[in-house]
Amino acid sequence: MIPALSISHLRKVYRRGTVGIEDISLEVAPGDFFGFLGPNGAGKSTTIHCITGIAEPTSGTIEVFGVDAVKHYRDARRLIGLSPQEFNVDQFATVRDIVDWMGGYFGMTAAARHARANMLIERFELGPHAKKPFRELSGGLKRRVMLARAMIHDPALLILDEPTAGVDVELRRDLWRYLEELNRDGKTIFLTSHYLEEVERLCRTITIVAGGRIARQGTKDEFVAEEGGIEAAYLRSTGAEPAHIAAAQ
Amino acid sequence: MSAASPVVNWVGLWTIIRREWSRLMRVPIQAFLAPWISALLFIFIFGFVVGSRISQIGGHRYLEFVLPGILMMNIVNASFLQSSSQIYFSRFLRYVEEALVSPLSYAEMIAGALAIVIVRSVVTAIGILIIAACFGVTSMHGILEFLFWVICVSVVFGLLGIIIGLWAKNFEQLTVLNVFFIAPLSFVGGIFNTVAMLPAWLRWLAYANPFFYFISGLRHAMIGFSEASESLGVTVALSLAFVLGITVWRLYATGYGLRE
Repeated sequence: MIPALSISHLRKVYRRGTVGIEDISLEVAPGDFFGFLGPNGAGKSTTIHCITGIAEPTSGTIEVFGVDAVKHYRDARRLIGLSPQEFNVDQFATVRDIVDWMGGYFGMTAAARHARANMLIERFELGPHAKKPFRELSGGLKRRVMLARAMIHDPALLILDEPTAGVDVELRRDLWRYLEELNRDGKTIFLTSHYLEEVERLCRTITIVAGGRIARQGTKDEFVAEEGGIEAAYLRSTGAEPAHIAAAQ
Repeated sequence: MSAASPVVNWVGLWTIIRREWSRLMRVPIQAFLAPWISALLFIFIFGFVVGSRISQIGGHRYLEFVLPGILMMNIVNASFLQSSSQIYFSRFLRYVEEALVSPLSYAEMIAGALAIVIVRSVVTAIGILIIAACFGVTSMHGILEFLFWVICVSVVFGLLGIIIGLWAKNFEQLTVLNVFFIAPLSFVGGIFNTVAMLPAWLRWLAYANPFFYFISGLRHAMIGFSEASESLGVTVALSLAFVLGITVWRLYATGYGLRE
């Protein structure tokens, strides 16, 4: 079976010499809910930027459903939807325009864009805000717009870079339910998050990165089964031993 | 999983144009009204008030003589400001990433940026022609030649604006080329005077100035009067468009100013 995402020896060195990623290799199975964890600066967002075309990989290969993301970038990008960590939008544009323009970039016809945007605006309860400029929205509403924009072209692989950062508990739970629903319907989801509770609830496979390298990979069940659960496993993998284990030793 | 992209993403290209038009419509005073008012003042003061005291140039009224220069100055400004601000703000606010993550080719991104440059230039030019018509200047020697110069110069300065938009790290840098290059060269490129009016030792400045060929070309298209060789002017304009086009293509392909 062709992996939804296959990364082999990815390395990224920025123009000024800063190493963003040392060496990352991973595979995401189709239909998986994949958690990509790590401390700030570990290389999570850089990896996502290399997959989606925001950053140019220095070396290594990235394939999305078997399509080379660098050589055949146009074909690969049709398969990916990205909800980024930062709000990379025209702050003065309206919610509907932001979603509609993204559909246009992906080559969707006006009728298809309209129907899909209506569905997403309704699903994310953005209807009353559709004509408002993005800058006038609350943090939670802005996150919803990011998700709607990422999903306008119904991508096979949805990449979510901290999609629930800064949103309230109610919305977070609502988004979780929606993401679970999408995943049940076969959508492959690649998630980064600092909320381990979120990862434990949603993900089936987890990869932890630290210092631009893979620190650990495994199924969620393997992480949960460890002493201290996911949090302890995460801290051990990133080199920060959990206090209660350190004290016991 | 099959997801073959079409050869040209026409909808994506059209979306770039729609989107930028929408951005322009948020600032219509700055985008259109300002150049029209500026042109009106130039036409009134230099063409109408001062011009009434100047004898004919090349068999044409002074107002007819300066209008192509005023038009060219505004086309150059509109083109440069459009593309430089489009690229710079999309980088500054990071929404350039929307295009980067989508299946748009570099050629489509560049073509989209240039298409809206041409639209803005043509709308600006039409407004100025209407203003000029109100002052009784309606001459048009060759409409195709006129369109060639409007479009070709828009492309040249649109490409130059893209380069500056990619290079600029702040608002200050965005204006550098306009202040130190475009404005001075356009003023000494023969907007208000012929080369013959310049002292002999200073004429090389006009001949070495691409604006001189652009203004002369547009003047020929409008009133049939030119001081420069037609073919040389066309060669200069097309050569600049080609060189700048290749440069912009390379910058996009290497991700300069766009990709991390």
